[in-house]
Amino acid sequence: MSRVAFLLREALVNLRRNVLVVTGAVLAVFISLGLAFGALAVNELVRINTVAWQEGVHVIVWLNDEGRDGVPTDAHQALLGEVQGWDEVANAYYVDKTAAYDEFLEIFGDDPDMIDALENPAALPTSIRIELNDIDLYQTVEFRLQQQPQLIQKISSAAQEIEQISAVSSVLNFLGIGLSIVLGASAVILIANTIRLAIYARRDEVSIMKLVGASNWFIRVPFLLEGLIEGLVGAALAVFSVWVAGRNLAGAAEGIRLVNLQIPNAFFLRWGIVFLLFGAAAGVLGSLLGLSRYLREADGGRPAGARRALEPV
Amino acid sequence: MIRLEDVTKVYEGGTVAVRDVSLDIPKGEFVFLVGPSGSGKSTLIRLMLREEGVTRGVIYVAGKDITALPAWKVPFLRRSIGTVFQDFKLLPNKTVVENVAFALEVLGRPRSVITPQVEQVLDLVGLADKGGRYPRQLSGGEQQRVSVARAFVNRPPIMLCDEPTGNLDPATSVGIMKLLDRINRTGTTVVMATHDHAIVDAMQRRVVQLSNGNVIRDEVSGRYETMAEQ
Repeated sequence: MSRVAFLLREALVNLRRNVLVVTGAVLAVFISLGLAFGALAVNELVRINTVAWQEGVHVIVWLNDEGRDGVPTDAHQALLGEVQGWDEVANAYYVDKTAAYDEFLEIFGDDPDMIDALENPAALPTSIRIELNDIDLYQTVEFRLQQQPQLIQKISSAAQEIEQISAVSSVLNFLGIGLSIVLGASAVILIANTIRLAIYARRDEVSIMKLVGASNWFIRVPFLLEGLIEGLVGAALAVFSVWVAGRNLAGAAEGIRLVNLQIPNAFFLRWGIVFLLFGAAAGVLGSLLGLSRYLREADGGRPAGARRALEPV
Repeated sequence: MIRLEDVTKVYEGGTVAVRDVSLDIPKGEFVFLVGPSGSGKSTLIRLMLREEGVTRGVIYVAGKDITALPAWKVPFLRRSIGTVFQDFKLLPNKTVVENVAFALEVLGRPRSVITPQVEQVLDLVGLADKGGRYPRQLSGGEQQRVSVARAFVNRPPIMLCDEPTGNLDPATSVGIMKLLDRINRTGTTVVMATHDHAIVDAMQRRVVQLSNGNVIRDEVSGRYETMAEQ
């Protein structure tokens, strides 16, 4: 127990002595992991919102009226039956003129100009609303529908928008990952530097420790702990900041119905732990890098055999 | 206790610090290594501590070939050797007690062991009443006593001293020598590099004289210089 306390105390002394450099290292971890975590959170938002889309209607087929322009009288129900039979389709239903008018009123009920503009409710087209099993299949479905041009007025698809959002989010992800890698590497290097500085600042102590027979690991552990603490603190700050930003965003966007900016806490918990572990690993890696030269020198010369081979006299 | 067989140390750049030195130091002996600066005294001490590797030859400490010791075992060698240097090597931000306790702390000894052992050794070196002071508040002689206390607190079988009186006036030096003599009488082997004539002559112990890395004299109860040199 006294040994653990001693090592921890040594690590804390290191941290206190180099406040400025330590702050730099912590900030580097904070910024790199914060950006990575932020990118992940944005990605999660996109996913949540596309899931909302995915649960809704993907394809709307606006139909020409029956009994006109050569459209047979039972064509709508026939097409619905056909569409419902397709493998790609999870669900399909028919919206007749009455339902279409109700929907119109729901959307534009507040807007008397729009209601006035619609002279005849019967002018609203009927439609078939289609839900897909897999959103990527929308092109196949669209192609099949296009085989019946006389019946179909227009095909609208939300899948296109979803695809565009996905494309944007993958670009964002790519940028986020790229930035995170560069900044993560700089965090590791900065930690390595702080450790090297700490060793330099304490070189007298280290040499005395070696003199009285402290094992190399005993000397290294405080520096490893220092890196670990720097990594953990930086990661904790990053996770906390992104969580706070997420809360604020969700609060600000509460009135907006179109998009859902609420990221569940479970997401923060799950990924927060991953990022903390990552920060800790970065800290230890940085320490090991900083210690590497010292590790080589610590043994007080190589055994005679090795030296003999290297230095012919 | 310590045996050197044909030990040669060549530094990078080709400087030969020690050349074909063979020495046998039995347990409990007090040995002076004498000679001018650059004669190889300090290098010998560094080799015995494995602060340096030998270029050729073998060094045995307590029956073990330390030149073949893997790096991770070097700390165990150092735990059996107490070291005292000319510049004391005390930590300025630690008190006397903390400096001495440090040697036991890094070995992971529990506080219940450290406290009485530190007290005892400070009593031995005559600094029992100055445990709370910092090195800068002590005289040179007192600082060296702290360093001797730190070297001896772990009761090592061997003490290696490199010019321990080099920074001290003659009267203070005598005090340190008395201390080392007392430690030697507990059975501890003491090897001391020095160029302090008066001390070597007064102690009448074994003298190993070095010159340009060679042993040129090894006398059982010697003086700093031979009669012929005087």
